Amino acid sequence: MTGKVTKGSCLCGAVAFDLHGPLRPVYACHCKQCRKTSGHFWAATSVPDEALTFTRDEGLRWFRSSENTKRGFCGTCGSSLFWVPEGERRTVVAAGALEGELELQTKAHVFMCDKGSYYEIGDGLPQFEEFKGDENA
Amino acid sequence: MLKGSCLCGDIHFETEAQPQGASMCHCSQCRKQSGGIWASAYVKDSDLTITGPVSWYETSPQAKRGSCPRCGSFLFWKAHDEDTTSFALGAIDGASGLKIEKHIFTASKGDFYDIADGLPQRD
Repeated sequence: MTGKVTKGSCLCGAVAFDLHGPLRPVYACHCKQCRKTSGHFWAATSVPDEALTFTRDEGLRWFRSSENTKRGFCGTCGSSLFWVPEGERRTVVAAGALEGELELQTKAHVFMCDKGSYYEIGDGLPQFEEFKGDENA
Repeated sequence: MLKGSCLCGDIHFETEAQPQGASMCHCSQCRKQSGGIWASAYVKDSDLTITGPVSWYETSPQAKRGSCPRCGSFLFWKAHDEDTTSFALGAIDGASGLKIEKHIFTASKGDFYDIADGLPQRD
């Protein structure tokens, strides 16, 4: 692997990882699953599977959140770290877990159909009822 | 009555009290644990009923954070010297009737988003 390395970790450090190369812009997901696991909404980038390497993974736990998706978190501190759409050969990674100055911007809000009623957004970014992929990118 | 639960349903909580201090926290700990921003409100410990196997993590000598060991949902924050517990607004089932009042620890916020809802911000 060559190119830029972005480091990330959970709160306690029992999961730590490197992301190699460019990162997809961040999408803020307001779906019910992301709201439940994150506690609010979940902001994440995405990398090809080969661009994610772990330096510590003893805390890593997976929860099967639907037939074709799973969510990765730290079993020690409860940090919400990953979402994997199986078969797509990529891992969606929490932007909040990344360290240092990031060259990342949020691109849009997705799954607004499930958004909580207790907050407003107001940042002027595109908002999509769902998220179908590249046509929203 | 306000009810909430984690994603897998192993942990439930409820309160009949009026929650206070609805806020979004941008501190580095909440950022790491939530993946971005953590939204919460609090009630007195005696007004909050929690069922299920909450996993508590001692973040510092002052406070601990509660999550679900099966699905990883980040649900609670509790300072040891206060008689209240904060719960995640994202975990609430149904309409809460609550509105975020402020942003806190914005000096620690991530650089991948802007705050633009016009609410008060505290460093």
